[in-house]
Amino acid sequence: MGDLWLRLSTTQQDVVILIALLLPAAIVGALTLRGYAPGAMLRGLLRRHWGISLTFTLLIALSVALGTALLAQERGLREGTAQAAEKFNLIVAVPGDEVTTMLAAVYLQATDMPLVDGPTYNAIATHEYVALAAPIAFGDSYQGAPVVGTTEDFVTHLSEGLSEGRMFEEREEAVAGARIDLAIGDSFSPAHGLGDAAVEGAHGDLEYTVVGRMPMTGSPWDRAILVPVESVWEVHGMADGHGLGRELGDIGPPYDPDRFPGTPAVLVQAEALWANYSLRSEFTTERTMAFFPGAVLSRLYGIMGDIREIMSVMAVVTQVLVGAGVLAGLVILTRLLSRRLALLRALGAPRRFIFALTWSFAAILVTTGSILGLLLGLVVSGAISRAITARTDVLVEAQLGWSELHLVAGFVSLTVLLALLPAWLSMRRPVVVDLRG
Amino acid sequence: MPLALTVTGLKVYSPSGRRLLSVPELSIPAGAAIAVRGPSGAGKTTFLYALAGLLPFAGEVTWGETGLAALTDSQRTAFRGQAIGFVFQDHLLFEELTAAENAALHAAYAPREARAELRVRGRAFLDQLDLSGGEDRRAGSFSGGERQRIAVARALSNDPAIVLADEPTASLDRRAAEALTEDLIRLARADGRTLIVASHDPLFHERADRIIDIEAGEVVAEAVHG
Repeated sequence: MGDLWLRLSTTQQDVVILIALLLPAAIVGALTLRGYAPGAMLRGLLRRHWGISLTFTLLIALSVALGTALLAQERGLREGTAQAAEKFNLIVAVPGDEVTTMLAAVYLQATDMPLVDGPTYNAIATHEYVALAAPIAFGDSYQGAPVVGTTEDFVTHLSEGLSEGRMFEEREEAVAGARIDLAIGDSFSPAHGLGDAAVEGAHGDLEYTVVGRMPMTGSPWDRAILVPVESVWEVHGMADGHGLGRELGDIGPPYDPDRFPGTPAVLVQAEALWANYSLRSEFTTERTMAFFPGAVLSRLYGIMGDIREIMSVMAVVTQVLVGAGVLAGLVILTRLLSRRLALLRALGAPRRFIFALTWSFAAILVTTGSILGLLLGLVVSGAISRAITARTDVLVEAQLGWSELHLVAGFVSLTVLLALLPAWLSMRRPVVVDLRG
Repeated sequence: MPLALTVTGLKVYSPSGRRLLSVPELSIPAGAAIAVRGPSGAGKTTFLYALAGLLPFAGEVTWGETGLAALTDSQRTAFRGQAIGFVFQDHLLFEELTAAENAALHAAYAPREARAELRVRGRAFLDQLDLSGGEDRRAGSFSGGERQRIAVARALSNDPAIVLADEPTASLDRRAAEALTEDLIRLARADGRTLIVASHDPLFHERADRIIDIEAGEVVAEAVHG
């Protein structure tokens, strides 16, 4: 059995779980409705009590929508942040907090960081396993967008080819992220610092001209401006990283270790996947720390996973509470229906038919509410995703997945099982008392 | 097949133990039309409900060969579904359903093979009760007299041997009451059904084969029309 399960694809396993979750509801429905045709009567009851039916349905829909949207959002955020970190295999920086460094280097949440010095950078850049060692120097901005000093190779690595224009070739040229509101040929002067701490005009006459644009990456780099790292060093009064043998105004590696002013972080791309582990080990020293952003994210997701479990339980509990509230309402509603139900009993309808009628009424509200809730959840989730993307620049695309479908299926089954109670109560009501109203 | 009624030592008590009805002996031949009269609260409705097995009772109520006392609740329900048609004072229709759906209400819980015939019979009775053309209109859109005629069609659609009617004309105007009385007696007699109508209405009393007077839960007189 275990082997059979493992042989199934993930999708097949999800389908099996979905069916298993819905099975109790389907079995109860089939057994309850067997031999009866209550369709017209249900239609009549829904029409007669449309107000209360609509209220119950919307309550269920809202509860399902909130539950599913929250879970989908959490997954979307996880996938979005992972995707944003995809290009950052290995980060080397001065020892400190990995999360803070990752937030700064990958998500451009700038912070004051000590600099990796020239000899260390040189050791990384000239290592036999290293294909790319790009300095990432942040600290300046333009209208809130970080201006990051780096190399041509990093831009190519990040963007996999520009969508417009060309690569920077001179120190006063820049490549804009996809969501930067500057056109090719536009010029701008960077401010020193970021956000509220940014000081306009601190860099004197320096003006960059936008010469290229990166395609959308779904990361905060879409709202960044990339410039040659040499210009960042120069404008901060430091050496330009180049020694003898390079012409004035040259950009890009190799850098002279003695004239390399330092960089907060270095993105390292290894020649091969296995080499990443070797490099991480080699550059985890007293002077440097090396870490995989993916591994740091995994640890964060581990914590988020616990939160997700709590959220899932809370979503189910909330939905079941709403479901129970609705069912309590249905118990009251069955009193409103009591004269009609008594009439049916007087005319010869079996108790089981009364049970089936009341249960189906509840099942219709629960099922319709849940389907509506799923659709509403999709809409709400899309709106929250757009809001998060706008605020963080991390592309969050939360879509309802199997886990949400499983959650809703479980809710439907549990609630329709709970609906057996008002159904049972309705069939036990005294016929003559109800008939007399 | 028409069913005769035999009642022996029938007693009905309220939940508090108060005696609501006592009928020591009563026989009604199959196919008879009986009017039950008496002041309000005399026990007419209780009498009808006891005859339908809707109330717990002491003694015996026998329809043809079927003694209700020995039947379980489910068996009594099944008996009602097969043998009894009910007409109530305030028609008690599902007003959101059409006249035809109301007339064939039994189809919702009848065996699959019987449903089509029930629907055909329901429509046929609506036709016989001058409601043809309105079968697919919502019951709530009919006048009071018409609604009661839909209720009569519903009572007859399962081809019952017995029709019990509780003040069927009480909420109707004179003309509608006359028409309904005529229709009910005509349709019951046409197929030899046993008809028992609890009513204050002299129209029924005049047309019935026999009148049973009930006062304070006791049968005080029986009169046979010539």
